[in-house]
Amino acid sequence: MSIAVNFQNVSRHFGQVRAVDGVTLDIEEGEFFAMLGPSGSGKTTCLRLIAGFDQPSTGNIRIFGEIADGLPPYRRNVNTVFQDYALSPHMTVGANVAYGLMIKGMPRSEREQKAREALSLVKLNGFEQRRPGQLSGGQRQRVALARALVNKPRVLLLDEPLGALDLKLREQMQEELRALHHDLGITFVFVTHDQGEALSMADRVAIFNEGRIVQIGTPSEVYERPHSRFVASFVGSSNVLSPDFAAANGGPRAWTSLRPEKIDVLLPGEIPKTGQAIVSGQVSSLQYQGAVVRVAVNVAGTRLVATVPTGAKTIPDGGTVSLAWDRSSAVVMEPE
Amino acid sequence: MSSSSIPAPLHRSVSDFFYRNSGLLTLLFILPPLLWIGIVYVGSLFALLLQSFYSLDEFSGLVVHELTLATYGHLFESSNMVIVLRTTVMATIVTIASAIVSFPIAYYAARYAKGGWKALFYLAVMMPLWSSYLVKVYAWKLILAKEGIITWVAEKLHLGFVLETLLSVPVIGGSSLSFSYIGTFLVFVYIWLPYMILPTQAALERVPGSLIEASADLGATPGQSLRTVILPLALPGVIAGSIFTFSLTLGDYIIPQIIGNSRPFIGSTVYALQGTAGDIPLAAAFTVVPIVIMGIYLVIARRLGAFDAL
Repeated sequence: MSIAVNFQNVSRHFGQVRAVDGVTLDIEEGEFFAMLGPSGSGKTTCLRLIAGFDQPSTGNIRIFGEIADGLPPYRRNVNTVFQDYALSPHMTVGANVAYGLMIKGMPRSEREQKAREALSLVKLNGFEQRRPGQLSGGQRQRVALARALVNKPRVLLLDEPLGALDLKLREQMQEELRALHHDLGITFVFVTHDQGEALSMADRVAIFNEGRIVQIGTPSEVYERPHSRFVASFVGSSNVLSPDFAAANGGPRAWTSLRPEKIDVLLPGEIPKTGQAIVSGQVSSLQYQGAVVRVAVNVAGTRLVATVPTGAKTIPDGGTVSLAWDRSSAVVMEPE
Repeated sequence: MSSSSIPAPLHRSVSDFFYRNSGLLTLLFILPPLLWIGIVYVGSLFALLLQSFYSLDEFSGLVVHELTLATYGHLFESSNMVIVLRTTVMATIVTIASAIVSFPIAYYAARYAKGGWKALFYLAVMMPLWSSYLVKVYAWKLILAKEGIITWVAEKLHLGFVLETLLSVPVIGGSSLSFSYIGTFLVFVYIWLPYMILPTQAALERVPGSLIEASADLGATPGQSLRTVILPLALPGVIAGSIFTFSLTLGDYIIPQIIGNSRPFIGSTVYALQGTAGDIPLAAAFTVVPIVIMGIYLVIARRLGAFDAL
């Protein structure tokens, strides 16, 4: 596997603001790579640096081994799916999709054929003559995807492409993007602030905070073994245990992450499994979430959250319960 | 309903009535301007049109109130068609020049100017509109005069011969800039420029930056982006601006009288015909010309797809 995109200590400063601050990164060819982070964390700037809309203040970016410094977007073999789709309103859907081929000078009949193929790839057969203004958000999204893919880019950049879609459509598009990635075999770089989206789609995830990558790994790595309190709380929700609390319950004296689904809620009389850490406290809130119930428990001033499958047991609001977890579920994090 | 037992104050029941009958409220609001446009404006336009189908009795100098095409026959005489042609050519050149001069200014203002610079741009474009049109035209007469600053600067730079050569060109030249078509053209462009800049800028303002980035992303060089994305999307604005510059030039009767070689334009001919000559029918027929030209212009613009991006 060769490296599709390589960042070598890349920074991008806007005046005093360090939008990207010393990022070093390898994205492998054919990988579905997600950049995840809150808004303003530098993930979109990184994407724009790959596309060429912006240039690094310091550091180098290589695309398939070639230094991309100063290379304008129109000289890079990458294509972008924009957050607002950026379809030209004065062109038909067909002309929008064929635009890149027209610029390359491909004859009309040939590029129209390719545009039709690209549109059928995103399941929009027969939409060639429509205008972008006549399409729904989900359809525009697909046109934007077809317009990028028709150019056969080696890297496809996706800037929060599903952000504007409703939940059902978003889930459907997630599946289709996965399938497209599988079929085309090209590198996808996907920017999102939605951790669920990143975990469910990507082969690897880079988590951004304040212009830096704070953790990089497979979805299960970053979810199961968060390195820092930021990752633990940003990727999924987690109980972050203070060093004192962790030490008092059989762990090392360090900041520790404990996922809510790893905690068993025991009613009075129930017995924990052997070797489990156990604390007791008072239920402070119950939140029905469909498949699970979120139980917040006040343990001597520390708030712990656990999830219980709906209907498994009846937990009394305000009552006393015990919380038990396997010691291996408590993940020790780096000090900050 | 418990509230029905207490009578609501009058102003509240009026509000409630109009809230329930919002169509009536809208009608009430638009009726006065509708009447104004309908009767005063369109009505007088039709009265004008009607006048053009009357004729002037050549002996008595009185208007004969009988429908005839004789006045239009008069209009199509070559001496009158020269005036129409002269005005149309001037309006066309002024419009093209305004569009060319305006585009970079509008583009800069729409894409790059931020905050204070944008305010300065609006101020700079609008400020000339605050002072009297006549003052500006007479100021230009001084600027363009033989003793004016342009001649002076040209001579100081030893470029007087360039000006001489320009003025010796037949038709467009003259004894000085202020007595030539070049002068008329320059002043027209100056006076109407804001009407071209503002709609062009408004159209460019609506082109999202991501559209230009997308075009570059798909392989278009900046020149290709300009031709295939920016210009087509700016076109409705340019056309809107050109409607101003074109029709204002077609109808203007002051600039050609003050600056230029005193050859008549449509506007100044109408002015003369309805005044001293008293030939109202021919004056009316002349005013129909710009209306027809504008109509043809808009149809062509529409055919060319100028309004597709609206």
